[in-house]
Amino acid sequence: MSLAERAEGDPAATIAARELSKAFGGVQALRSASFAARRGEVHALVGENGAGKSTLIKILGGRLHADSGNVLLDGNAVRLGGPADAARRGIGTVFQELTLLPWMSVAENLLIGREPRSALGLIRRNALAGEAEAVLAGLGIHHIDPRALASEVSLAERQIVEVARVIVRQPRILLLDEPTSSLVEREVEWLFARIRELRARGTAIVFTSHRWNEITSVADRITIFRNGAEVGTFDAIDEDEAVTLMTGRRVEALYPPLPPVPSPAAPALQLEEAGVGDGGTVSLSVAAGEILGVGGLAGQGHRELFLGLFGAPPLARATIRIGGEPIVITCPADAIHAGLGIALVPEDRKTEGLLLPLSVRTNLTLPILAQLSRLGVIRGGAEARMSREIIDSLGIRTPNAAQPVGALSGGNQQKVLIGRWLLAQSRILLLYDVTRGVDIATKHEVYELMMRLARQGRAILFYSSDTEELTHLCHRVLVLSRGRIVAEFAPPALTAEAVVAAAIREPHAA
Amino acid sequence: MPTRFLTLDAMRVLAAYGAAVLLFVIGGFVHPGFASFASVTSILLVASFVGLVAAGQCFVVLVGGIDLSVPWILNAAAILLATASLGEDSRALYAIAITLGGGALAGLTNGVFIVWFGVPAVVMTLAMNGIVEGLALGLSGGLTCTACASYAPPIVAAAVHGVWLGVPAALWLWLVVIVVVTFALGFTRFGRTTYAIGNNARAAFLAGVNVNLTTVCLYGLSGLFSALAGILLAGFGGQASLGMGDPYLFQSIAAVVIGGVSILGGRGQYLGAAAGAVSLTALVSVLLALNMPEYGRSIVYGVVILALLLLYGREEAE
Repeated sequence: MSLAERAEGDPAATIAARELSKAFGGVQALRSASFAARRGEVHALVGENGAGKSTLIKILGGRLHADSGNVLLDGNAVRLGGPADAARRGIGTVFQELTLLPWMSVAENLLIGREPRSALGLIRRNALAGEAEAVLAGLGIHHIDPRALASEVSLAERQIVEVARVIVRQPRILLLDEPTSSLVEREVEWLFARIRELRARGTAIVFTSHRWNEITSVADRITIFRNGAEVGTFDAIDEDEAVTLMTGRRVEALYPPLPPVPSPAAPALQLEEAGVGDGGTVSLSVAAGEILGVGGLAGQGHRELFLGLFGAPPLARATIRIGGEPIVITCPADAIHAGLGIALVPEDRKTEGLLLPLSVRTNLTLPILAQLSRLGVIRGGAEARMSREIIDSLGIRTPNAAQPVGALSGGNQQKVLIGRWLLAQSRILLLYDVTRGVDIATKHEVYELMMRLARQGRAILFYSSDTEELTHLCHRVLVLSRGRIVAEFAPPALTAEAVVAAAIREPHAA
Repeated sequence: MPTRFLTLDAMRVLAAYGAAVLLFVIGGFVHPGFASFASVTSILLVASFVGLVAAGQCFVVLVGGIDLSVPWILNAAAILLATASLGEDSRALYAIAITLGGGALAGLTNGVFIVWFGVPAVVMTLAMNGIVEGLALGLSGGLTCTACASYAPPIVAAAVHGVWLGVPAALWLWLVVIVVVTFALGFTRFGRTTYAIGNNARAAFLAGVNVNLTTVCLYGLSGLFSALAGILLAGFGGQASLGMGDPYLFQSIAAVVIGGVSILGGRGQYLGAAAGAVSLTALVSVLLALNMPEYGRSIVYGVVILALLLLYGREEAE
């Protein structure tokens, strides 16, 4: 044990927060929050959205300054001048937002600031890709082309490069803010293998995640946060107890029971031979009252399929039937007004779903303005009444309908987004990874809502990057790989292991 | 969160009106007679030209765009009015119709290239400004020949100078535009989709909004309003002249910003931009009353815009 470590605080700590406070405007993000990570340990920070985890990581990583309190490095209070200063002290951080420069290659991003140089100090561009390839291979990454532009590779690959860029600098302390949110199982395994290697070298690793099975599989200790402060640090804690501590209340069974599909099943949405991705074709059918899950690795055509069914942009060569009638969808407006009405809830409600500064009412009625208007003038009374009804029936917690939707909690925002489509009377819902990066209490509310919608006879097509979710919330699950459906599971064969195995199985040569 | 009596946007609109009133009071102290009815009316009349151009600018700024083709669409409209009418009253109606049509067409062309060909608004509208300038100069022979008509039909001039209930006709027209545009933005489907696009075009598209068509129409409206201002200015001065549109680019953008419309799109009201046009014109008049030379006025303009952008940027960050 070194001298510095014995100096103060937790004797074995390499990085610690002592009574950190931080406010943004009127919002207190951290209230005297403390925790300590030892050397050679993986320390998970868990809590709901807004509990202060990301703010804490940003302060430890030098991106933000605390209003009060200290960051302790090897037991000594340090004042971090910025991310570069933190990096010099051996703190490597993978922030939640991706920071790769989109128009530079993977190699340039990976080796930025440490490029191979010639005798004159100029960057040896032709050696760059080779060196990057070697670095990636050293980390067990063989499928990412270092010559590709960062904007050309998938979200998951970007996330991997983001992590690799920090790891190659051999940090003494590694901070990861939701590193797995865009990764699927196999990539998560890769990440955890790297984390375990670093731990064996004595690196202190701090990470945040909303996925409980990941947390328990890799974390040595867990610190739970609620409302900007730590609730406690635990060596082991079961999920129910953790959720109770995170939310401050008890959540009964996370997954609500599935309502049965009404029989005989009436097909609501049928898709025949739709071109998805490069060369693949997908056929599927969802019945009224059925929740059909779509699983598989990221980047296998899920996004193209969901956006395509919604006309944004349309699928190639597809025959789409709604309630048995063939229809043509060229844009979202077509999909919304087609037959039973198709609705898409996109993965990122903040960038693709909601108009955050505008009112709850405006966000709810946007797709039905045509019906709400007479000669182009919006009927204010009807609009107020309809938005009131949906706010009441979904239990959206907002002071009034004029409140900017951005001021609502994540769960209530998600309800507004789904409520919009209930107003539009959509009978077919495309839910695309709607629980990604969402805290447990909110997830639970979304699950309950899904079951309610299915009971009302709506057809739901559901993609999730969390395979556990698919297995618990769906009547059937299709596995998509390279734009093709490679497997279909229904209970009792429907298990997370089966879905993952089908997703990673190499396709047979045709 | 405590509920405030007024929203941030409403505060800005009020601030713009407050600034206008304050400037008239200051002007009254600096120069006796500045705040007289006749003087205020004439300042408002000048402001109405800025205000009309700002209506179009407001539309495109609300969707995060900008229209830099204002100067020459305005100028070409004035020239087109004169040349198409040959300065004759009998052809005035026809000339006004093709002038407004031409302005809208230029604006729609801006929109089409911005939306469907992905040309950035700054580049497209700047190019359009140059193209329209070239067309106007080429086709009119630069208004240099004595035979070329450059006079507005007298009936247009008379209409602009006409007074109804003690208020100039052009001001009445502006008042109507203020009411119509404010209503359209606040209470119609068109206005709602405009704000939706300005806030998040992708999210609006995924909610079924026809983003492309609306955006093209907004640029068309901007062209239309520039042409309308050109017609009124030609009537006001009695003739078209080269370079008459130049001041309106900066002033229309400034009016929109002073009025509290976010330059990034999505928030603000035309009611504010109209107040911005009045404050800006009043500011110029006060500076003129103070005998400030041209260069000094230019500097004051620039500083005012910069200060407001800093102030509003800070408010939003909170």
